[in-house]
Amino acid sequence: MTEFSATDALSALSHTLAETAARSGGSVVAVNARSRRPASGVHWRAGVVVTAEHLLPREEDILVTLADGAVRPAQLAGRDPGTDLAVLRVAGEAPPVAALGDAAHLQPATLALALARPGQDLQASFGLISAVLGPWRTWRGGQIDRQVRLDLALYPGFSGGALVDAAGRTLGIVTAGLSRSGAIAVPVETVERVVDQLLARGRIARGYLGVGMQPVRLPTAFASTLGLAGEGGVIVVSLEAEGPAARSGVLIGDILVSLDGVAVGDTEDVLALLGPERIGRAVSAEVVRGGKRATITITIGERPGRDGR
Amino acid sequence: MILPMLEGVALPLIRATVLVRSGNRGAGAGIVWQPGGLVITCAHVVQSEATTVELFDGRRYEARLVGRDRRCDLAALAVEADDLSAAAPGTSTGLRVGELVVAVGHPLGVPHALGLGIVQAQGNGEWLRADVRLAPGNSGGPLADSRGRVVGVNAMVVSGLALAVPVETVERFVARIGRAPSGREAA
Repeated sequence: MTEFSATDALSALSHTLAETAARSGGSVVAVNARSRRPASGVHWRAGVVVTAEHLLPREEDILVTLADGAVRPAQLAGRDPGTDLAVLRVAGEAPPVAALGDAAHLQPATLALALARPGQDLQASFGLISAVLGPWRTWRGGQIDRQVRLDLALYPGFSGGALVDAAGRTLGIVTAGLSRSGAIAVPVETVERVVDQLLARGRIARGYLGVGMQPVRLPTAFASTLGLAGEGGVIVVSLEAEGPAARSGVLIGDILVSLDGVAVGDTEDVLALLGPERIGRAVSAEVVRGGKRATITITIGERPGRDGR
Repeated sequence: MILPMLEGVALPLIRATVLVRSGNRGAGAGIVWQPGGLVITCAHVVQSEATTVELFDGRRYEARLVGRDRRCDLAALAVEADDLSAAAPGTSTGLRVGELVVAVGHPLGVPHALGLGIVQAQGNGEWLRADVRLAPGNSGGPLADSRGRVVGVNAMVVSGLALAVPVETVERFVARIGRAPSGREAA
């Protein structure tokens, strides 16, 4: 390879990145909720903007600035702190919607841009998708289909912006709100699921037991006497009156060792079993009560919203 | 090993980047602007009267301050040489968001280190904004486009964002010191 053509290759890549930023940046908007901290958003479907939940301090008087500079009022359709996504409805003519990629495009070592609009102007950062891992529960309690780690900088106001590959496909929503150690993208499949639920119901339904729990470790001899597979469990330390667990006969002091056939050793294990798919289902809960094993059937409830909905 | 696509861009740029030692607050970078010995750096890099410039090939010169503009953070140094490998100037006005940029400097003392990034946002005329990782020791070094042409002088980092003085500002500064009596502040 001659020096000349190699240098041209760099210029060609540079040109591609600039074209991609300009084209895909057309669906990246600014979200202003009267905060000093601006946020970015992506025009995800016609009239629907996805943004970062943690940068949306208020639910009214939200304005969206489009790529052409037009400012539009937006209504909050719903917010999901667990996945750090919020969904807005924007009326009127809108810019192009993002060209969404699918799971096959989400590969490690893919060159990528984060496109954001923390104000009037488009901003970008450049790097890599550094890892694509399996499903995970965020520290905020949301279920994300795949953990997408990015090696690129997220500048102030970049959260809610688009992760875009060199072909201009939007592969997710970038956020600094789900990890202290680096940039994360919420992948398209998770965004689609959350958008569907927020547009339909205004919230993400989560299962609910109505108990306060603490992890406990059972003595090995005791666990084996009882014939338990593991030595861990969670002890019920508080009980919501008339909550699903209380109605099913759970008592304070019960040690939950399995739920719906899955062993639980920590409160995280229990929360992971309380996805929307179990709401309304009667599941068996194995507990240790008074030194003996007992099985209780609990009908999983739905967690009340912040405003009691 | 150098990535082939970077080689033709990086090597001339590295050869035109110098190490500037001045005062005792650590070294900065500089750009050979003219083969006859004119070196451009940042005003905040030039801390004392005793300033030395060290070339990529190891040659070292006493440098004379021939101009300084603290407002746009530029300084011009002259060294007694006439065969230096000068940087190729480009233009910053046509840069688009997402275009690749290359930075050379001595971040945290690492000599002639190369950084790759992009234009982070449309500049405002006063500063170029680059998404490229800089550290102390990059100040005064070149920010170049994907063809290796200098578009700015790296000057500071704000919230992780690199800010560079546009090449057009540098050229106006160089034109001013050309007219000013040698050794004076060109303001």
